[in-house]
Amino acid sequence: MIIPKEVKQKPVEYLSLALIFFVSLIIYFFAPIGSHGQRLIVYFMAGCYFFWSIIHHYRRGDLSFSIVVEYLVMALFGIVLLSASLF
Amino acid sequence: MKHNLSYYFIPQEKNNFRAQILKNGFLLILVGFYLINQSVIKFIGTVKPGVLGYSSEITAQKVLNQTNLERQNSGLPPLKFNSTLSESASKKANDMFSQNYWAHTSPNGTTPWDFFKAVGYQYSIAGENLARDFYDTESLMKGWMNSPTHKANIINPKYQEIGIGVVNGTLGGIKTTLVVQHFGTPMKNIVTKQTQPKQTQVEQTLEPNQQGLKDVVINEKPVVLENSKILSEQKSEYINPLTINKIIGAIIFSLIIIVLFIDGYFTLKNGVNRLTGSNVSHIGFLLIILLFMLYQRQGAIF
Repeated sequence: MIIPKEVKQKPVEYLSLALIFFVSLIIYFFAPIGSHGQRLIVYFMAGCYFFWSIIHHYRRGDLSFSIVVEYLVMALFGIVLLSASLF
Repeated sequence: MKHNLSYYFIPQEKNNFRAQILKNGFLLILVGFYLINQSVIKFIGTVKPGVLGYSSEITAQKVLNQTNLERQNSGLPPLKFNSTLSESASKKANDMFSQNYWAHTSPNGTTPWDFFKAVGYQYSIAGENLARDFYDTESLMKGWMNSPTHKANIINPKYQEIGIGVVNGTLGGIKTTLVVQHFGTPMKNIVTKQTQPKQTQVEQTLEPNQQGLKDVVINEKPVVLENSKILSEQKSEYINPLTINKIIGAIIFSLIIIVLFIDGYFTLKNGVNRLTGSNVSHIGFLLIILLFMLYQRQGAIF
């Protein structure tokens, strides 16, 4: 199994992100939360992903405006895709 | 042509070693494209009502059976089908279509209880569940049972009767099926129960299995539901907007994920150091969103 170099360098950080994704996935599909709850899970996951990126890049020493915008756009895209088409 | 494509998909000196599709400006264009697609779908729904829609195979009989099955699983007696309640449920669905709203209370302030009164159903306790855009009864019931407030209506031990309206029409320019459940306990039944405590006690001592048998017998009797419309014959007549959204969303997200993989591969191969976000985290996030979208339950409840 090929593990990317960046993951090998910061395994705890990537594991914490994987945990956020995993928990969100479980709640989204298996918890009796209704569509409103699912929407909140998507917001929560996108928010966690964005804040994770800030902490991750700050610790790596390469936090910049363009990187913040990149994660923001990705998070926004995820929210738009699910909010506009499903709820 | 090949050269132009590589500019968008493969990191190289010309695109500053980052695939053009993954740059912030291009990603924003894709977000904008998706939003425009949403507006176009809504516009089509307004200009050409009936072109877009959700097909359904839901019938009132199936909803009744599934509802009583859920009650049976909770150890509750089945609800009796009441044609008067079904009339009020269908009136509510037709009112939502005619006034073009999706809520318990209409824009002019008509509450669910007004529909109960309009058909002459005197209740001591009553409730309403709404659903739209579901294809099958199983998904519809799952949607309701996953919502604490709707579930509370379905397995409320105080309700004795149910009426179901399954009506199709055009709501907001989109063809769909509205399902309305009206729950109630007639006023006289409460009085009867209070004056005949022994009979109530007998019912309560029934074992869950015996209750189940009782349910089966009741459900085996065919109930004529005039308001039920089997819509499966019409399911290919219009285009499902959810399917359009899913296809376009899946294409865009898959494209980004593939380009992220390509970008990661070439960066690793060429040993380029760039000031960009982590491809691994982007891929993980987008895959989860894609999964949410593809396996999202259909329909909406209220």
